Amino acid sequence: MNKLILSILLFSNLSLASDGNGENNDISIIMFVLFVSVTLLITYWASKRSSTVDGFYTAGGNITGLQNGLAISGDFMSAASFLGISGLVYLTGFDGLIYSIGFLIGWPIILLLIAEPLRNLGKYSFADVVSFRLNQRPIRILAACGSLSTVILYLIAQMVGAGKLIEILFGLPYYSAVMIVGGLMILYVTFGGMLATTWVQIIKAILLLFGATVIALLVLFQFNFDLNLFFNEATSIHKKGITILSPGGLISDPISAVSLGLALMFGTAGLPHILMRFFTVPNAMQARKSVAYATGFIGYFYLLTFIIGFGAIILISNNPAYLDTSNTLIGGNNMAAIHLADAVGGEILLGFISAVAFATILAVVSGLTLAGASAISHDLYANAYLKGKQSEKNEMFISKLATILLGGLTIYLGIIFQNQNVAFMVGLAFAIAASANFPLLLLSIYWKKLTTKGAVIGGSLGLFSAITFVVLGPVVWVDILGNASPIFPYKYPALFSMTITFTTIWVFSSFDKSENGYNEIKKFDSQYFRSQTGIGIDAKTTH
Amino acid sequence: MQINYKHQLNDLIKLRLKIIRPLLFLTIVPYFCFIGVIAFKPEMFSPFIFDTNISLGIFLGLVLILLIFIITVIYVYLANKFIEPQISVIRGNE
Repeated sequence: MNKLILSILLFSNLSLASDGNGENNDISIIMFVLFVSVTLLITYWASKRSSTVDGFYTAGGNITGLQNGLAISGDFMSAASFLGISGLVYLTGFDGLIYSIGFLIGWPIILLLIAEPLRNLGKYSFADVVSFRLNQRPIRILAACGSLSTVILYLIAQMVGAGKLIEILFGLPYYSAVMIVGGLMILYVTFGGMLATTWVQIIKAILLLFGATVIALLVLFQFNFDLNLFFNEATSIHKKGITILSPGGLISDPISAVSLGLALMFGTAGLPHILMRFFTVPNAMQARKSVAYATGFIGYFYLLTFIIGFGAIILISNNPAYLDTSNTLIGGNNMAAIHLADAVGGEILLGFISAVAFATILAVVSGLTLAGASAISHDLYANAYLKGKQSEKNEMFISKLATILLGGLTIYLGIIFQNQNVAFMVGLAFAIAASANFPLLLLSIYWKKLTTKGAVIGGSLGLFSAITFVVLGPVVWVDILGNASPIFPYKYPALFSMTITFTTIWVFSSFDKSENGYNEIKKFDSQYFRSQTGIGIDAKTTH
Repeated sequence: MQINYKHQLNDLIKLRLKIIRPLLFLTIVPYFCFIGVIAFKPEMFSPFIFDTNISLGIFLGLVLILLIFIITVIYVYLANKFIEPQISVIRGNE
């Protein structure tokens, strides 16, 4: 993951314009303007249906399983994963597959452990579930900190990557690119809420799946769909030869392997913008279906990126039209999929894929912003600050205000981090999600003895330790801050930070003999009943 | 929650566990085996399978992607077939 975004960053070194780029720009700009027009129309249509808080955050709860599955996969298939994973496959072959599988393995976990109870207990944010029987104020504040850290880190990484990518694809200056993305995102979310964000996500997911399918089919067509021939050709062309078909040292020591594995497996189940999608479906049955659809789409998408990466090895790595003077891909390895589109489908496909990449960025940042806005308005303002006594109109106003503030903050951070190394941020977001958000959610649903005291101490330590370990680790302490050796030796902190979270939650909950703790344990049975059956879901939650 | 349908809830939870446990096992174990081989014995993934040019690692990786999807489909199928009717019974009693 880190490598992917890093290489997006390297785009900046590129002087624009290769041969024929002018015409490509025309096609991609037309397609992009079309996408923006359609999505703005949808936003207008959605704005009339998003006038209530419920409409704003859950699209009225009427999204079907298939629609939600597409929207979830849209949230997950970012430009970074499309261009980054195909670029990683192009560069290393097999190792790209390790990331694909890592990003996919979280889905059965969400499905089997989280999706249904989440739908049955929550309303707008995962903090609803964690605070269901615990003390509202401290839990909401903690959960909002977890959500906002994840969302903001993710947003910065997406925004900086987006600015660089758009700079290359459309020739727009970095600042304008960041402003356009931020501005459109604010429009979608403020006016169209979850309904518009969901449809933007669905359209983009279909476009991306379609575009990637076309590239993959055109590639395989050249080999008569003979995979044997296909891999044979790739190994004979790639400079690492046959070793691209086996593990190449992306993960070397066992602790890093397990730690990365844990972060990917459980981090997905702690991403607020993903969890939020489960409140848009009417019941647990649809929630369940949406995960199966999403897993199918995402899995299929990773198969395509794998074919695209290998296709790029064969078709563009020796083609001077796509290489610069030092014999590397123009724009860096992450441009593999973009160049391949041109190689197999000409300008039209290139224009289409460029427009889709732009659309993808827009859709992903919109989903993230909405999740961040719900943490601010629903968790921090309405429940922690006003203790649930606010008027609906007021919460709506704060939601929109939060969206605009977050959008502005994202544009600002996108600009100040322009030349910084933000590669570690998505990794850190996953580590926080796995070490703070996920344990809180899991234990609040399944562990009777969880008390507010245990959750607050354990959750804060998890959040704090994930951040500290990353800052003191090789990526930030050495590579970015320039110190000689890391204080914390491993790149991926999840194994340690998750252990800290679970252990401290267990210790402090078990030894919590307070009256509050006792009352919270007593409320578990009725919460468990509701989480397992969904009975009570339609009644207004009273805390 | 009333005492008289407490046993129905217990049945529901038992049924859920019966479905979830093996599927969870099928998710976690193959994944960490895959990661384990990469970390400890990467050369195990190098040989080609059968008479092809496809390495064992790539083959198993693609199989794992398929397996992950199949797990979700199996769960949805089993849950709709067995869990939903039980929930309906409890809902009806309420």
